[in-house]
Formats: sequence, C-alpha cells, structure tokens
Amino acid sequence: MARWGMVIDLDRCTACQACVVACQVENNIPVAGQSDSDRGRGISWIRLAPFNEGEHGTRPGLRLVPIPCMHCEKPPCTKVCPVKATSIGKEGIVAQVYARCIGCRYCTTACPYTVRRFNWKLPEWPDPMGEGLSPDVSVRPRGVVEKCSFCHHRLQNARDKAAIEGRALRDGDYMPACVESCPAEAMFFGDLDDPRSVVTRLEAGPRAFRLLEELGTKPKVIYLSKGESGADV
Amino acid sequence: MPFCETAMTSSEPERVPDRRLAIAVFAVSFCAAAAIGFVTGQFRSPSVDQPIAFNHRKHVIDNQLGCSTCHTFYETETFSGLPASDICSTCHAEPLGKSAGEAKLVKMLKEQQPLVWKSLFQEPLHVFFSHRRHVVKAGIRCERCHGNFALTTSPPRRVRRLKMADCIGCHEERNVSVDCTTCHR
Repeated sequence: MARWGMVIDLDRCTACQACVVACQVENNIPVAGQSDSDRGRGISWIRLAPFNEGEHGTRPGLRLVPIPCMHCEKPPCTKVCPVKATSIGKEGIVAQVYARCIGCRYCTTACPYTVRRFNWKLPEWPDPMGEGLSPDVSVRPRGVVEKCSFCHHRLQNARDKAAIEGRALRDGDYMPACVESCPAEAMFFGDLDDPRSVVTRLEAGPRAFRLLEELGTKPKVIYLSKGESGADV
Repeated sequence: MPFCETAMTSSEPERVPDRRLAIAVFAVSFCAAAAIGFVTGQFRSPSVDQPIAFNHRKHVIDNQLGCSTCHTFYETETFSGLPASDICSTCHAEPLGKSAGEAKLVKMLKEQQPLVWKSLFQEPLHVFFSHRRHVVKAGIRCERCHGNFALTTSPPRRVRRLKMADCIGCHEERNVSVDCTTCHR
C-alpha cells in the first residue's frame, strides 16, 4: 500500500503562488474578501509563509515557503478531535470528514504548522465563479474545519481507474493540483514506500529536511534546500 | 423554630403537583409536536413525482430487458444515468400496449417534451461513489443497494436516503477499506 508524500524543492521554488491558486480552484475554496481577510478568516489550504533569512545589514533576505498540510505520520490534530472527524488513513493521508466535524477547533490549535482553517461563514464566490465549482470536492458548510487533503478526490479517481484496469495503485498514478501546476517544477509527489519513486530518492538526499522535525510529528511533506550547508546536489 | 417547620410542611404538598403538571404539559406538547410532524410529513424523506409511472416489472421481468438498457452508464461511469427520451422512443415510437402511462409517454415523445426523471436514491454530496467500481470490479448486484426494483410495478413515492452504516457493513463484510478518504470527499 502506498504512503503518499510530497517533496518541495525550495531552491527551485520562485514563490509565484501558482500552487496556491491551483489549490483554491481545485478544492472549491471560497474567496474571503477584504474584511474577512483583515480578520484572518481567509481560507487557503496551501500558503506561502515568510521566513527571514540572513542577518540584517549583511545578507538580508526573505524566503517564502509553501506550506500545505504536512500529513504527519503522528498527527497531533487527530488525537485531540473529540468526534473522530479527522483521522489518518492507511495510505497516510490525514482526512477531514466535514459532515462529522463539530467545529470545536481543537485541531486548529493542536496543529503546529497552523494549516487548518475554520469556516466562519457560508462559502461565497463572486459571480460567475460559483457556477464553476468542482463536483469532485464537497463545498464545506459553515462551522467546520478544513485543510489540505492531498487532493484525495484525485486519489479516489485514480484508485477507481486502477481497479478497473485490474492493477494495483502505484507511484505516479495521481498528483495533487499544486504539484501539477508548479511552473518551476519544484514540487514532487509520490509513494514514499516505493524505493524507485522520485520522492524516495529526493527524501534520502542531503538537502532534505522537514519542518519542526524535533516535535516528532514525522511530516510527509519534505523540503529540499541547500541552505547554509552548501551541499551540492 | 416551630414557625419554620410549619412553613416547610405547608409549602411541600403544593410543590409536587406543580412539577407533575410541568412534566404533563411537556409530554403533551412533545407528543403534539411529534404528531403534527408525522401528519405534515416532517420526518419523511421528500416525495417524488415522476413524469410517468414507470413499470419496472413489465420491462425487466416480462420483457427480459437488462438494467443497462435504460440505465446506460453504470458499467462505465461513476453514475448510472436515467434514460433520455431517445432510449424510450427506440421501442415506444408507436404504442405497444394499452396502458394509460404508455399513451402519455407516446404523446410526450411525439410532442418532443423532455423526460425529466427524478433520482430516487440519493447519497450526500460529501460522498464519492462509483457505480462502475462496485458493479464491474466488485461484481455487486444492483439489488444489494437498490432493493428488488425489478419487481415493482409503479415507482416509489419517496426518495430513499442511503446510510453510511449500509456502506460500512458491506465494506467490512468484504474486507474493503473503511478509511474515511475511501468514500468521503
């Protein structure tokens, strides 16, 4: 059984935010508008987080890091959910079942990567965007928490296709919208248990690291950066 | 002290009937609300009016037509599909029998009115279900979820909402994944 994971090469990423836009469109994420954005109530499943780099006066810099849900092997969010609305599946995807969520927001607090978002109101789209929603993704009601699903509706379709063709699901059968859209080819997606997959090879390289690794959450989103070490890969 | 005792004993018998009355009023109003709910159909699933009272028995049992004759997509797509008027008109361009339903159908076909069948089985929007996967791959018969539709002579009046317990029961029985992401989207 596959263990899906993502690799983001920060040395290639140009912070263009194509992944953010692709995600909004793919997953029926409502447009927040000015007032809600000002109150921090906008929703995005993948965001670019700014990290200050270098020292002031010598080598100033700002690195923008795309942050989707890390789909941790040991997710802190699933442990605190009182109604089992979120859980980690056998293929390692941390799922959110909106119909079950009661909106207590324990999970948004528990997540160290702050990737979970709460729906403060009914979703709205400016005309005519509301008519172009994806039928593969449910529109979330008010009062539930949502987050990146690794585009698992694509996995459902891929799994369906593989089953009809009479073969097992394998690495490369599906990729999330963000990975597909990346113009700099900085994002990779695949099966971390498959020794021949690109993600496994990149994960083993010297540039690989995970965010907040010391917490023991074991994220399945792996970043690549030459950073200070200057490793040449 | 004696004053207190008399005060307590005198107030005691009055409090008991008060509580009983409150319970009685609550019970009566609850039952009344439930009764009104039943009468007005609040607890029933929505009713459905089909354009024609389709006789499944006549088609499937008497004339030996397979489900895929009219529901053309369930072997190839996630949905099964309801027949458009051209499927009906392959047989019913002219009346084959004498039923009132058929006369109505032939009239509609001649006037080129669209046939808008209503879906009777509805799964919630947050569920991914593939007919192809279940019918072709798993070999599950239509009756497993739809009941013995082939034996009915007129369409059911109400929408049937499928429950998650039905899905989970079958998945567990067949040792299929019950991960949330398998079905929920």
